[in-house]
Amino acid sequence: MIELINVRKVFNQGRPNEFVAVNGVSLDLNSHRVVILKGPSGSGKTTLLSMIGCMARPTSGRIKLMEREVTSLPERFLTEIRQKTFGFIFQNFNLIKGITVLENVMLPAYPSGESQSSLKRRAMNLLDLFELSKKAFSKAEWLSGGEAQRTAIARALINNPSIIIADEPTGNLDSVLSGQFMEIVRKLKADRKTVLIASHDPLVYESDVVERVIHVRDGKIVPM
Amino acid sequence: MTFHPATLALHVSSILITFMILYSTYYGIRILRRWDIESGSELQLALERRTYLISTLLAYTFGLQLFSLFLFIFTADTLHTLFVGAMCAAGSLFVNGYGYPALILKIITFLLAGLWLILNYADNKGYNYPLIKKKYFFLIIMTPFILAEMVLQWNYFLRLRPDVITSCCGSLFSTGSGTMTSEIVSLPTLPMMVLFYFAFAFTIASGIYFYLKNRRRRPEPHYSRQAKRWDSGAGRLCRKFVHGSTSSPRTDDDPLEINYSAVRPEPVEGQTAIYDTVSGRGGYLFAFLSAAAFLVSILSILSFISLYYYELPTHHCPFCILQKEYGYIGYPLYLSLLAGTVSGMGVGILMPFRKIESLSEGIPSLQKRLALVSSILFALFAFLVTWRMVFSDFIL
Repeated sequence: MIELINVRKVFNQGRPNEFVAVNGVSLDLNSHRVVILKGPSGSGKTTLLSMIGCMARPTSGRIKLMEREVTSLPERFLTEIRQKTFGFIFQNFNLIKGITVLENVMLPAYPSGESQSSLKRRAMNLLDLFELSKKAFSKAEWLSGGEAQRTAIARALINNPSIIIADEPTGNLDSVLSGQFMEIVRKLKADRKTVLIASHDPLVYESDVVERVIHVRDGKIVPM
Repeated sequence: MTFHPATLALHVSSILITFMILYSTYYGIRILRRWDIESGSELQLALERRTYLISTLLAYTFGLQLFSLFLFIFTADTLHTLFVGAMCAAGSLFVNGYGYPALILKIITFLLAGLWLILNYADNKGYNYPLIKKKYFFLIIMTPFILAEMVLQWNYFLRLRPDVITSCCGSLFSTGSGTMTSEIVSLPTLPMMVLFYFAFAFTIASGIYFYLKNRRRRPEPHYSRQAKRWDSGAGRLCRKFVHGSTSSPRTDDDPLEINYSAVRPEPVEGQTAIYDTVSGRGGYLFAFLSAAAFLVSILSILSFISLYYYELPTHHCPFCILQKEYGYIGYPLYLSLLAGTVSGMGVGILMPFRKIESLSEGIPSLQKRLALVSSILFALFAFLVTWRMVFSDFIL
């Protein structure tokens, strides 16, 4: 369960360009669900996801993860939670250029201190799962859009997180690849993951794998 | 004198330290008044972010404070050539009425700063800022000492006059002059030796006893055999926080058999902390003995230890051993003594907090290390003193 209690996020507070990205959002998200945050650009979806994923702190309000409050945690505790609990998929994938697909997938697991051989084995298993074994030693910049997408998903799964956060994952993909992505989400759901997706793509929020759609506009939840 | 590099360094560091202390005290007062970890208000979150910054800056500030004691003594010793009658820091400090009070305050603030650093380190081990109010309350108590030290130090250096004929250790630390130091150096030597070695024996034994009695014991595992212990303090917290993992990323060969129960805070009935919280036996005693050993050591240096270094029955100066002709032996002596005292007293200052849930593993572990470090440092001090006494040509 993820619980947001009156969360507010203000950028440039006190300055002339002050902007309220999230304005008093209270939300309960059950585990093992696929939830979509739907809304236009600038509605606060990404900010909400970043706060849920412990990548940003709210200006006020509290966020609880499985009944434990995370917003007050010092940074050194948050890094561990980010690593172990969340897997992130970004709109532009944010693969590291210059290194291979395999190294990109392994990267988030390096701080765990796991042995290289064990980590490599797990990463290769993930690449097998997403039919990327043959691309394991290719540089990330050589990948097609679909391959990059699947690499990003594999990277998000390397630490066995329970929650996947995807921010506009189909933003740079065509319809076919978007459909493939939602099939991967279906599989993640079958594995009892919690998947949070911010998207304004109808192919995403109208998919039958989605169990809940939350409408966000101007930093607030809009009841539908 | 005012523009001596070491003097300037002391002035600049005291300004920096004072500024940081005042800035931190301001926020400390706000924290004491407004801190509420349960609240999600904007002020509370701002205080949480601010305290992270302040405690980091204060850690460096107090590190500088610790160093400034030795820099002050070194500076006073270096300046002795400028004053008629001064042969070491004893004479330099006696040039005006601010020298010795500044030194005493610096020693006090050294001990306080060390204890604050230990408290801060312990607080950082907890995920819910368990010692934050106590830490800042302690800081507020320290503030007048640090301010007074800065004032005295500034006055000392600014009021140094080269035309003053000062007295030095020969008269300041001689018998029969009727001063307090005179009374100390007049103490009978043999009883002081016995007191010194008994004090150190009891202190070191107490430290070793505390270390051995507070060894880690492993609880019965209440979770899956696949669950892993993470080595870092944050990792241990996170394991507790996300207790109930049924698989580990380190051994799971099937990447989709995911640890989706990773954040379930399963209560583990009957599981106690890894360290026995009822124990902590000997912590207060060790802290008290550490403080006592410090005082006994200072008296002993004045009474008989210094004699063996100078090989002169009338030379009781605690400062001349800092000079080159004695191999700067004073620095390792005083450093080991002060650091051992701070570590030992740190064990005691943490005792009341052993049962705080978020610190139930961190504090016993920290206390163990402090006890070990303190015992080693006291042993080092005793060894240096004994070595000199045994191999010196001087016979008392």
